[in-house]
Amino acid sequence: MATGMIENWGNIDVYGPIYPFVGSEGFLAIAGIAFWIIWHIWQLKAESREFEEDVEKIKQRGGVGSVLDAEAKRETSDLTGG
Amino acid sequence: MSNELSSLVVIFTEFYYWVTVVFMFLIHVGFCMYEVGASRYKSHMHTLMKNTMLIPLVTITFFFFGWWIYFAFVNGPGINGGLVSAPWATPWSELMGGHMGGLATQDTLTVDDTAYWSRINGVFWAAFLLFSWTAASIVSGSVIERIRPSAFWILAVLIGSVTWIIDAAWGWSWNGWMVQLLGYHDAYASGVIHAIAGGFALGVLVVLGPRIGKFAPDGTPRDINPHNPWLVTIGLFLIYTGFWGFYVACNIPIIDVYGGAMLDVADKSYFSATNIYLQPTTLSAITFNFLMSLSGGLMAAYIVSKGDAFWTYSGGLAGVIGASAGNDLYHPIQAMLIGAFVVVIIYRMHFWVERRFKIDDAVGAVAVHGYAGFLGVVIAGFMLWGYPSSPFEGYAPITPWGQFLGAIIMFFVLGFFPALIASKILNGMGLLRIPREIEMVGLDINTEEQREEDARALREAIRSEA
Repeated sequence: MATGMIENWGNIDVYGPIYPFVGSEGFLAIAGIAFWIIWHIWQLKAESREFEEDVEKIKQRGGVGSVLDAEAKRETSDLTGG
Repeated sequence: MSNELSSLVVIFTEFYYWVTVVFMFLIHVGFCMYEVGASRYKSHMHTLMKNTMLIPLVTITFFFFGWWIYFAFVNGPGINGGLVSAPWATPWSELMGGHMGGLATQDTLTVDDTAYWSRINGVFWAAFLLFSWTAASIVSGSVIERIRPSAFWILAVLIGSVTWIIDAAWGWSWNGWMVQLLGYHDAYASGVIHAIAGGFALGVLVVLGPRIGKFAPDGTPRDINPHNPWLVTIGLFLIYTGFWGFYVACNIPIIDVYGGAMLDVADKSYFSATNIYLQPTTLSAITFNFLMSLSGGLMAAYIVSKGDAFWTYSGGLAGVIGASAGNDLYHPIQAMLIGAFVVVIIYRMHFWVERRFKIDDAVGAVAVHGYAGFLGVVIAGFMLWGYPSSPFEGYAPITPWGQFLGAIIMFFVLGFFPALIASKILNGMGLLRIPREIEMVGLDINTEEQREEDARALREAIRSEA
């Protein structure tokens, strides 16, 4: 069993590709592009869900004004080490 | 690789580009620091991740199709010929991986392909890729605190792996149609990186709109100050540092200018570094000009901004960008004066556009990169009027009109309009801008609340131990 084309390093001057599974490059390209597109779709859905939850959370906290007041307190506390 | 001297040239070239990549990484570190420093406290984690995640997304897409575009699109296609075959740059090519330059297993590759590209492909690809990150990162800063990260990442792929590399194929390669037909000259990428990125940022900003609170009801702009000016300044210093690598990456380190298919001068050799057009230059020349244009930009920006640190640093960058198109050939004092002149213009243009069109460019990227890059290309047309654009016979010489047309192509055709169209599509789908309430309270609402809860829990734990 050998995954690559390298049998020994004595013929290195004639070797071409040295990675394993030479010949699978077309499949790898398709798999890589699929991974990229699926990532965008997953991220887009996760982000939409996160924003929906955040908007709901802001409502539950009494609206934008209340959240901003809490932020201001937090920033003051950070600055004063409280 | 059996001859010591020729092997040394190959391995030196390989190492040379590798070093430039490491230096250019600092540009991205700088952009991240700059953006985080410029954003407000309540959004800085999302701002950081927005910029960070463009790295993998642009990298993989530049592997999948960006690198191939650079070689395949030199003729347009359809302007000066058709698509050009580039079997070493397709994502399924065996030369897009570890290769010793020996026998190819794919029929599309020639012996010359494997001999030339086996050791250069990865490092050359990476040098261009770091330019791609830079192009996308320039846009990133201008849209902070209101763009959806998902939308930005799609736009980052568009500029980083499609539009900028088309402009490089057209105007930043030895055989691009703009070089051949227009005599386009842009040695250190005033147009091909900065004008396009600035134009792209403007296209996004037109659709995205300003941050809430940026403009008073009467249209007067308000200052939204950086939450950490020190991070901003260190970030800009790091961008300067990485810019050295960028300049060096724009050169080919060693080539026989009298040999090969270029001048083909019989019985003579002339080994030199060249720019991307294979025209001889020296690292010494560009070192003079980099520092002198940086200095011109800093000095002018200090005067026009009355010592404002943010604009003084940005002006240094704009000074270099404004002189970059011709910094392979300018005299250092010319580079300094051009850098200073460009900064005066772009500083005034930034505030005029902000007031007139209500464009909220949070970091001044459209001015520092876009207007400075555009002007840099145009100025090179006057300064280098009549110079040959290439060592190859039959190419158009450098002219003001060729450069002006080139600047229009960079800023508007490949920068502004693709961004405008893509942003309008994303906006139409409701994916461009974050919800209004979240923008008001900040993107990091969850992170900040969690941090507060963690701190409270820790305080209570410590009290109970006391």
